[in-house]
Amino acid sequence: MRYFEDVQVGEKASLGTHTVTEEEILAFARRYDPQPFHIDAEAAKRSIFGGLIASGWHTCAIMMRMTVEAGRKSRAVTTGSPGVDSCRWLKPVRPGDTLAGRTEVLETWPSRSKPIGFVRSRVEMLNQRGEIVLSLVGIAMYCRREEIPA
Amino acid sequence: MSSLVHFEDVEVGETRRFGRYEVTAEEIIEYARQFDPQPFHIDEEAARQSMFGGLIASGWHTGAMFIRMVCEHLVLGTATTGAVGFDDLKWLKPVRPGDILCVESTVREKIDSPSRRGLGTVKIDSRVLNQRNEAVMTLTSLVLYRRRRT
Repeated sequence: MRYFEDVQVGEKASLGTHTVTEEEILAFARRYDPQPFHIDAEAAKRSIFGGLIASGWHTCAIMMRMTVEAGRKSRAVTTGSPGVDSCRWLKPVRPGDTLAGRTEVLETWPSRSKPIGFVRSRVEMLNQRGEIVLSLVGIAMYCRREEIPA
Repeated sequence: MSSLVHFEDVEVGETRRFGRYEVTAEEIIEYARQFDPQPFHIDEEAARQSMFGGLIASGWHTGAMFIRMVCEHLVLGTATTGAVGFDDLKWLKPVRPGDILCVESTVREKIDSPSRRGLGTVKIDSRVLNQRNEAVMTLTSLVLYRRRRT
């Protein structure tokens, strides 16, 4: 198991890859972000984006899925997040794009009141051309090893 | 002249309260199974035993519900064309089944973006509130508005 004490500043990890389909772009956007350039291929063609693009919140959701799966593989004992310092949608995500995630630990500090610790990381999502489409700095909460009840 | 709200029409300090989103256990689980399958988002029994004491929505799901309310109430009638990203997103309180959410948004700042021809960036502070008027999520969005053609 990987606890707060096991996390080192500067550590880098890969989050795997995910290929984005038109169907999932439409399904997410119809439900949560129904702006024309996310849900209507024709309207999207006439927009400044020149074609259908994924909702930025969808790209974040895909990043979260990849983070949860990577956390399972590394057996990380985490308990949610207090927030995100900054998030930038730098390039459009289009149908057929294959996104790869990578993360780097920037800072760690223990909670003063709870048996947890905070880990600040930069997370980036790159497309198949190596362009960064999403860059964010977020905080995760890890359980502390010594506080885990027997 | 277009009746849409353009960059020039936005006033710093403008505040709007809008939206009504009823959160259900089904939707919490459906979103989380797809994007954030941690036990306290997808398993009522595991959630009861967690530090949250019951099922809670993924923070990214709250973000998705936020953008849905923004699309329904704020984007309509405005000449916006997506967002660059956001800063200072905080998940302050758990969002639980039965919660009813709304949004309160205030224009913080207008930024000329010389590099983005015909566009301007508007910083908008938003609070997602529950039925007890508690802020469950806050963030500052960086929204792109089209300028009026001169």
